[in-house]
Amino acid sequence: MTRHSLRLRLLVGAAVAVFVALAFAWLAMTLLFQRHLELRVEQELRRDALQLVAGLSIDPAGMITAQQPPTDPRLSIPAGGLYWQISANQQSQRSRSLWDQALPSSPQADATEWRTRQIDGPFGQRLFLLERIVQPVGSMERVLVQLALDENEQTVARNEFSQTLALFLLLLWAVLAGAAWIQVQLGLKPLQRLRRELSGLRHNASERLSADYPQEVEPLTKAINDLATAREADVKRARQRAADLAHGMKTPLAALAAQSRLIREGRSDPQAAADGLDRAISAAGAAVEAELARARAAASRHARQDAQASPLAVAQKLILVLERTEKGMRLDYVLDVPETMRLAISAEDLSEVLGPLLENAVRFARREVRVSGSTTDDTITLSVEDDGPGLSAAEIAQVMVRGVRLDQAGGGHGLGLAIARELVEATGGTIELGTSPLGGLRIELRWNRADRLASSTDNRPSSKVLQAVKARLQTAFARLV
Amino acid sequence: MRALVVEDDPDVGPDVVRALQAAGFIVDLAKNGEDAWFKGDVEDYDIAVLDLGLPRLDGLSVLKKWRANARTFPVLILSARGDWTEKVEGIEAGADDYLAKPFEMGELITRVRSLIRRTAGHSVSTLTVGTLQIDTRRMTANLDGVPLSLSQLEFRLLNYLAHHVDRAVPASELADHLYGANEAGDSNAIEQLVTRLRRKIGTKRIETKRGFGYVLTAGDE
Repeated sequence: MTRHSLRLRLLVGAAVAVFVALAFAWLAMTLLFQRHLELRVEQELRRDALQLVAGLSIDPAGMITAQQPPTDPRLSIPAGGLYWQISANQQSQRSRSLWDQALPSSPQADATEWRTRQIDGPFGQRLFLLERIVQPVGSMERVLVQLALDENEQTVARNEFSQTLALFLLLLWAVLAGAAWIQVQLGLKPLQRLRRELSGLRHNASERLSADYPQEVEPLTKAINDLATAREADVKRARQRAADLAHGMKTPLAALAAQSRLIREGRSDPQAAADGLDRAISAAGAAVEAELARARAAASRHARQDAQASPLAVAQKLILVLERTEKGMRLDYVLDVPETMRLAISAEDLSEVLGPLLENAVRFARREVRVSGSTTDDTITLSVEDDGPGLSAAEIAQVMVRGVRLDQAGGGHGLGLAIARELVEATGGTIELGTSPLGGLRIELRWNRADRLASSTDNRPSSKVLQAVKARLQTAFARLV
Repeated sequence: MRALVVEDDPDVGPDVVRALQAAGFIVDLAKNGEDAWFKGDVEDYDIAVLDLGLPRLDGLSVLKKWRANARTFPVLILSARGDWTEKVEGIEAGADDYLAKPFEMGELITRVRSLIRRTAGHSVSTLTVGTLQIDTRRMTANLDGVPLSLSQLEFRLLNYLAHHVDRAVPASELADHLYGANEAGDSNAIEQLVTRLRRKIGTKRIETKRGFGYVLTAGDE
């Protein structure tokens, strides 16, 4: 597992957290136990002390005696661990267990209450000492009463307790860590499945992730599925386009091969051969042009949505170009487009749309080419008209069939309409041919204002999916947290 | 006639040169932008055929440098991309015509000839009628020093009238000149055109001689 393993992170996190919690518990419980022991010992000593004090007497000579010393057997064994001592003036009486030793006298002892402290006692023992100064009835004598217990007992008990507790807590830690491991395993299992399915998806583009994932993972799988669908469509489209192009090139190539064979066999006169070659070259050129048009349209489909072109400005520039041509300079151009009109398409693309249309109009016009634009609440309409011969209804119908060239007469420029159509349709518009009041052809481009937004987002699968992925990841993250 | 061909392609360049030589031109070939810039600046050409994709200095920059240096010979642009944005950029940079690659050599020769005819027709490059100034090379006109916004057709009408200030020009003659001889004369269209031009340069400047035609005047009297 690498440093970035989610499982390792979760496991280590859980183990460390549990360990810290248990160590803290161990420390706290040990302290509590010790405190409890001390209380018990203090209570015991107090009981003995009370008994000792109750039997305290001072004879007229000033001798103090303990009438009823406590009877604990440890008191009778030298260094037995439990000791008492009463002292007043220079004399004192003590338990047998103290033998020839004495408990140190205490400057801090108080007459109002029992005090406890720890001292280094005789026999090298550490003692827990309870002491008080008492004044027996009918005497002026201050008597120091001391009882002591070897702390060793407590220490042993506490150590034993803390060791047992530590052992138990370690066991508990192991169990909890195991539980965490199982939890992580279970929690990450869907991700492992996801990985397997994803690698399957890589090998087979049409495969999709199954739908029965936990609800936290499901948004992710859905987003991945959407992305895969969009990708598959893209790839399919690209393949189709490559096939189209290859197909478009095949015919001219065959024609070229045929011409080459004819020339080799000497069956073709140079003029006819050159004509044939030119035809094949222009057909190949046409195929390439058409493909470029589609590529441009595809690029426009993915273009920035906030593109804003002014049809008036674009038309003015295009007319500037067309006016330079032999035919174009003989024509009158009428621009009837509102200055504020804007289209959600880049100026470059609009140039590619209007350029060929205007060029066609110029070619066929007699005197006038007219560009007009109008806006309603729902639609934006641009039209290019000329006063040339126009097309009959049958010709229009034929031209509108996909792939048919609008103009079979002009040399090599006829594909302009294909580019324009691809671009207009890529930006969610429609193109319509009709007869102009001027007498010639009228080409009308119409964009649905509301549609343009909607369709342009629909037409951008990748970015839409990315947005969805982002949104779903956020949801998933929110749920996990 | 001297022509400059600017083309870096080893096949297309010499091909164009041969075709122009066959058409009677004396041709220089420049194979990169810097060479083209230099030649265009120091030699007097009647036309330049300029490819846009060039090593060292691109065609548009070459054209802009020529024009900035007041080189006014007509320029025909050859463009491989052939998109309209490029055409517009070319014309705005000062080109006179464009031709998209691949082109037919015959078409190129036709364009070159018509460009020379169009721009070299007049010996004088500036005509003055009263406060009206017409630059026949750049195809622009100023009125009292202010540039006029004229369509090509309007300019050509003004230009023709300016060349014949000494007489009334009949509408049929204008139609012939403006629309070409093969088009039937349409005096109505000419009248509309004259009306539009009058609106731009002042009504009095074009007088109608009833039964004879139109005359361009200084417009003072």
